[in-house]
Amino acid sequence: MDITLIFDFFPKLISYLHITLLILVAAVAIGLVIGVVIALIRIYKVPVLNRLAFIYISFMRGTPILIQLFLIYFGLPALLTLVHIDASRANPLLFVAITYGLSCGASFAEIIRGAINGVEKGQAEAAYSIGMNEKQMMVRVILPQALVIAFPNFANSVIGSLKDTSLAFTIGVMDMVGRGNTLIATSLHALEIYLTLSMIYYGVVICLEKGFSLSEKKLQRFEGSLSAEK
Amino acid sequence: MQIDIPFIFMALIEIFKALPLTIIITLVPLIIGFLIGIGITIIRIRKVKGLYSLANFYVSFLRGTPALMHIMLIYLGFPLLIDKLAVTFRWTFQSTSIPILLFVLMALSLTAGAYMSEIIRAGILAVDQGQLEAAESIGMTNFQAMRRIVFPQAIAISLPNLCNIFIGFLHTSSIAFIVSQKELTGATNIVASNNLKFLEAYIAAALIYWGLTIISEKVTALLEKRVTVYNRGGVI
Repeated sequence: MDITLIFDFFPKLISYLHITLLILVAAVAIGLVIGVVIALIRIYKVPVLNRLAFIYISFMRGTPILIQLFLIYFGLPALLTLVHIDASRANPLLFVAITYGLSCGASFAEIIRGAINGVEKGQAEAAYSIGMNEKQMMVRVILPQALVIAFPNFANSVIGSLKDTSLAFTIGVMDMVGRGNTLIATSLHALEIYLTLSMIYYGVVICLEKGFSLSEKKLQRFEGSLSAEK
Repeated sequence: MQIDIPFIFMALIEIFKALPLTIIITLVPLIIGFLIGIGITIIRIRKVKGLYSLANFYVSFLRGTPALMHIMLIYLGFPLLIDKLAVTFRWTFQSTSIPILLFVLMALSLTAGAYMSEIIRAGILAVDQGQLEAAESIGMTNFQAMRRIVFPQAIAISLPNLCNIFIGFLHTSSIAFIVSQKELTGATNIVASNNLKFLEAYIAAALIYWGLTIISEKVTALLEKRVTVYNRGGVI
């Protein structure tokens, strides 16, 4: 084991960090869209769709991300041949983004639903009593408060997804871990490479945590101001 | 698209045989992790000098890196350490005689310890301070109060989190296939590549994991009813 090699590997690996972050950003973006739609379906109990949404969330919560990754990787091209699209040569990055997006979508849906249900009922009644309609009530009163409730869980979920992206290499994506594996094949210094990777992940997670906790403080700046005025 | 439905059933039976290993890779780290977690929690709540910042770093580092890294670091690093010690102390022991499973269990135990310590800490802090004071007022020692009063309540409060971490580790155990363990995912890989039916095999694996998750959720709901019995009044 040669600790100094870490300094060699560090620049080589961190130059692939943007792929990891790209997967994360794509997953979070897809996840937010799915999450909001599913949460609305669950809250308004849309018939049939509500049942489907429940099964979707249960499935995503009930299977490892690795299995989901393989299911999409093998299943999606098979599905697409039905509509005569050849996806067998598509970039594996696409499958990874879709898988992590679907997985994020399920957890975001539950977080959003919990947060909207977590806003006190009196808030909605108060909004109605001053003559707001349902949309105004939702957009101006409920959602801003739900955002504050949802944020810490959302942050945890994003950090969890970042750590999950380390498995993307199993279907051949050239992210940091994928690059690390090719470096192992040529240099045979596996331990040093995994040490470097751990340091990079740890650094990114710490940055994300700091960023999230700053934004959380900013979001909560209106909390408790009412009781202060009393 | 053609899906071979009968093959899914066949794969289901074949993959199911790997269940014991998955259960071992899930439960052993959780049990050892629970003990590590208690130790870390005591260090962090009592603010033991010297160990305190070490414990904080342990929890933060292991929670901040993917479980894959822990498995690979232990799997690659531990044999080097053993071999070095073997040379210095002239052991005849070789690191290659250690089964890989042991490295996986060690790595995941460390991971579990970090997550467990957060759960246990949250549980203990959630128990009303008055409970501890009441216990001390009837003459219990600190240890008795912890063991008989605070701890049972903390476990009851943490039960949903403990269920979540169980499901989380059930899913994390799938990573062990990367270091060629024949647990559920590893077995799926073998079944898939032997028959060249990847999609069907992974559907079967997904069904097994999904079923296990639903069962553990149901069991937790039952347990929760029993454990929180004390909380549903009776005295007043």
